[in-house]
Amino acid sequence: MYKPDTVALKNVSFQIGANGNEFVSIVGKSGAGKTTLIRLLLREEEPTSGKIIYGGKNIAEIKNKDLSIFRQKIGCVFQDYRLLPNKTVFENVAYAMEVMGATDYEILRDVPRLLEIVGLEDRAKHFPLGLSGGEKQRTAIARALAVRPEVIIADEPTGNLDPYHTRDIINLLEKIYDLGATVILATHDKAIINSLSRRVITLDNGEIIRDEEKGRFIL
Amino acid sequence: MNVATVFVLIVTISLITTLFISEGAVKHIIAQIKEKIDISVYVAPETSNEEMEIIKDRLVEMPEVQAVSIVSKEDALEQFRERHKNDPVLLESLDIVGTNPFYASLNIRANDPEQYAAILEVLNSSSLDDIIYKVDYVEKKTVIEKLSGFITNVNTGGLLMALALGVVAVLVAFNTIRVAIYDASKEISIMRLVGAPNRFIRGPFIVQGMIAGAIAALASFFILLLVSYFLAPKIDAMTNGFNVFSWFKARAFGLFFVQLASGIALGVISSLIAIRKYLTA
Repeated sequence: MYKPDTVALKNVSFQIGANGNEFVSIVGKSGAGKTTLIRLLLREEEPTSGKIIYGGKNIAEIKNKDLSIFRQKIGCVFQDYRLLPNKTVFENVAYAMEVMGATDYEILRDVPRLLEIVGLEDRAKHFPLGLSGGEKQRTAIARALAVRPEVIIADEPTGNLDPYHTRDIINLLEKIYDLGATVILATHDKAIINSLSRRVITLDNGEIIRDEEKGRFIL
Repeated sequence: MNVATVFVLIVTISLITTLFISEGAVKHIIAQIKEKIDISVYVAPETSNEEMEIIKDRLVEMPEVQAVSIVSKEDALEQFRERHKNDPVLLESLDIVGTNPFYASLNIRANDPEQYAAILEVLNSSSLDDIIYKVDYVEKKTVIEKLSGFITNVNTGGLLMALALGVVAVLVAFNTIRVAIYDASKEISIMRLVGAPNRFIRGPFIVQGMIAGAIAALASFFILLLVSYFLAPKIDAMTNGFNVFSWFKARAFGLFFVQLASGIALGVISSLIAIRKYLTA
């Protein structure tokens, strides 16, 4: 889609969670670099220069075989949900626990609780194809929570949802923040940002143009 | 893994097994050809039957010799009459001659056509040289050499063709599995994002490869068993006695084991190689 010499981000430097958990929104119009930033945080991309430090380590130096351990500490929620199509809601959430080595007992104990938190206890046996957009996203959030993450990264989680479901998802993310996790939310939804009244980092053409504690969406 | 993958594996395993069966048939035909090749050692007219038996015993002791049969003067005459029974002029000429003009001979069959020269060396350098009137090896030498060459070429050619076909079949099966795993590439990327270690992701695909390979081997075995049963009479007629169904039955256990092992190996190795691309970076 983009030429190889395109600069997606430059001179981007910030700290999140230095003084405890935070709820940070990363905003900007399409093409500002939000998704690139998220991909960098998840080590799906590597920076051409600079470092990304998590837990005191530069994530670019994580070996391929250890990448899974790094990603197990981070819960992810995406605009396209990214659920496993051949697994039920229960199995999708349970999968995140299986990869961490959870026992069957732990899975049977925790997954129903997680589904209750996101309000999907009645949909446990359904496959993603039979769910609405909001239900799919709540499944994704339950899966993200299953790993008891220190950080939840949500890349345009409400991009495909109607206003009702959008509000539900944002409420859930705030609940997760209240439970002690850091939430990084990438979005271009003005209404969400203005309603949150949290830290906002604004990107434009790949650069940070604003970083405010109680930010608003300003074009 | 889907039906298409299993189907391609069945075709691959069946093709490789058919190559083994073909090799059996070719070996049978070559053995038949070798049976037809022999040389005749004609002995002097005054040689007695006892002397011929002694010569025969000495020849049979040679490791190169497979079989020796004695054709007496009377047998030779009878064989001539039988061969030319539709040619009354020739038979009349024989009657006019009055006596039996044929020589007794020893028909020698070697284990390998290339060994006739060695057998003759021994005969010529032994005390039997006085009794031997003539050996028809010189007349047959060219045919024997050509046949030996033909057999070697068939063996080499057959082996090369089998190898080439085998490689093609394996590549087709590998590509089919690669496409099946490509279909799952989105799922694999989700698994990686969720933090699944590579071995966790690889595992189910390896198992699927094993199962597909095992099912394909089983299906291939029974298909070939049935096909060989129904085609046996036709192939028997074409190859002058190679019963493919009996050949198959006699080797059933070994064949099934080889098919199962190669089916599973093909399924597993192809899956391992195909999925590697999606587990790096």
